[in-house]
Amino acid sequence: MTQGTPLDWPGAEDHLPPDSWGRGPARESWLPWSFVGLVALLVAGRFLLAPHLTAPALQTWATIFVAVCVQALPFLVFGVALSAAITAFVPASFWTRALPRQTYAAVPVAGVAGAVLPGCECASVPVASGLMARGVAPAAALAFLLASPAINPVVLVATAVAFPGDPAMVVARFGASLTVAVLAGWIWARFGRSEWLPVPRRTAAPGHGKWGAFVDAMCHDLLHTGGFLVIGGLTAATLNVVVPRSWLTSVAGIPVVSVLVLALLAVLLSICSEADAFVAASLTAFSPTAKLAFLVVGPMVDLKLIALQAGTFGRPFTWRFVPLTLTLAIGVSFVTGWVLL
Amino acid sequence: MGAAVKRQTQSLMLLILGGALLNISAFSSTYVNYVKPGFRPLLVGAGAVLVILALASFIRQWRGQGDGHDHAHDHGPRVAWLLAVPVFAIVLIAPPALGSFAAGGEDDGPAPRPPAPAAFRKLSDGVPQLALGEFIGRAYDPAGTSLAGRQVRLTGFVVPSKKKNLWYVTRMQISCCAADALALKVAVRGVPAPRENSWVQVTGSWIPWKGKIPNGYVIPDMTATDVVKIDQPAEPYE
Repeated sequence: MTQGTPLDWPGAEDHLPPDSWGRGPARESWLPWSFVGLVALLVAGRFLLAPHLTAPALQTWATIFVAVCVQALPFLVFGVALSAAITAFVPASFWTRALPRQTYAAVPVAGVAGAVLPGCECASVPVASGLMARGVAPAAALAFLLASPAINPVVLVATAVAFPGDPAMVVARFGASLTVAVLAGWIWARFGRSEWLPVPRRTAAPGHGKWGAFVDAMCHDLLHTGGFLVIGGLTAATLNVVVPRSWLTSVAGIPVVSVLVLALLAVLLSICSEADAFVAASLTAFSPTAKLAFLVVGPMVDLKLIALQAGTFGRPFTWRFVPLTLTLAIGVSFVTGWVLL
Repeated sequence: MGAAVKRQTQSLMLLILGGALLNISAFSSTYVNYVKPGFRPLLVGAGAVLVILALASFIRQWRGQGDGHDHAHDHGPRVAWLLAVPVFAIVLIAPPALGSFAAGGEDDGPAPRPPAPAAFRKLSDGVPQLALGEFIGRAYDPAGTSLAGRQVRLTGFVVPSKKKNLWYVTRMQISCCAADALALKVAVRGVPAPRENSWVQVTGSWIPWKGKIPNGYVIPDMTATDVVKIDQPAEPYE
């Protein structure tokens, strides 16, 4: 997306007066007190409330919720830092030189480039958004978004460790994930409309210096994506506690249904892509194709990711892109599983 | 409230979140209840980045340099309030390591991560301390019966059973964080069940399979001779 299109919302930067207008010292003085107040509230709560919040279901829920957040935060911080660095330090011209000019050619290149970002899906959302803000074609950035968490070296090694003596699973995961990413990118390039995916942000404001732009972009992205990560963590933890695992084994033997069930489970559990291979390997009752579907769907579509995408790219985008990706992921898993496994 | 105040609140959010992250990783070891021990440097790093970023943002606003382009999407600031939820969960609920509720009841459940049989050495003499995963792996080891007739010691928490004269010594196995936890269970016979969820060290011997190694996953059994209550280990997960 080039600068100056209506999507950049020209004027959005200055339809409100600058910060300094009408900002009096009186308004700032409440801040330290609110901080003290909040900390006092937490300390008091720790002694008054914590001894009573001990129901096992609540504690299990809280452990899983906190675990999802704590585990994802370093990757989110890393992804946001990378995204902010891309916007602040990498000139837009770099991307036009690095990627083929033709969108259809850029999509597979971006998909393969996903292999070099060793993170999980939380990191790839802000990075893809940063790429778009820097003028990379949305379809190519989306291919990167989908491919990166599934085919990076860390995830592939984890898959190989989880399926010892079964290298076909690693190959199938790599092939199927890359195929889905490229197909989704192409379909978006062909049918996607720019009004579904506004890129409203950040063309590093002049005059603030690069570090200033970096700090501002990082704060903004962290607050934004972090908030949506919490939404994803809340839903994933709730479903983790509410959905009994025992009903899984009852459907494991049915050919097509079992694949769909594991794909759905991948969406609900929202496990980090670096860990999902171990969970897939433990579902011994299921067919290899069903496990493959779990591995392909998980890094591309899950509750945490849907929340992150909705927050970063907007709801009109998300409710179109998520079903597209899910359908592609399940379809490609069926075909790959049939051919390779 | 003006945009500036809003931005300061947001920086405050980052500061509190970073502080909570540092508190569970750098200043205590609570983080092992949620993620693998190897995550510590990542958590400390992320917490430090959040705190530094919040301070840098405060300084920029104090010097009047903060950019004003937040209003491009007004839903951003509101969703940022949610960042307080994990902080409140950490402080108020202080979630412990997953216990018997998460380990579930009777079902044999999904099998643990497949062990690599080649890694199994000969059991050391005396009464060796085994991880539950290794015990289960050895019980399923097609190559031999290294456990047969041996006294071993297992560490885990207590999950009661509806079946008579039986309880499970249990440990959760995680590969990344508590969301992907699987329960490793060994059924204990021969001693009465201690209090649910208490941590114990069980000494006993494996009860060999009747006939062949089962095809699906069945929880292995042991006959216990001794149960000692212990504190929760420093690393609650396997």
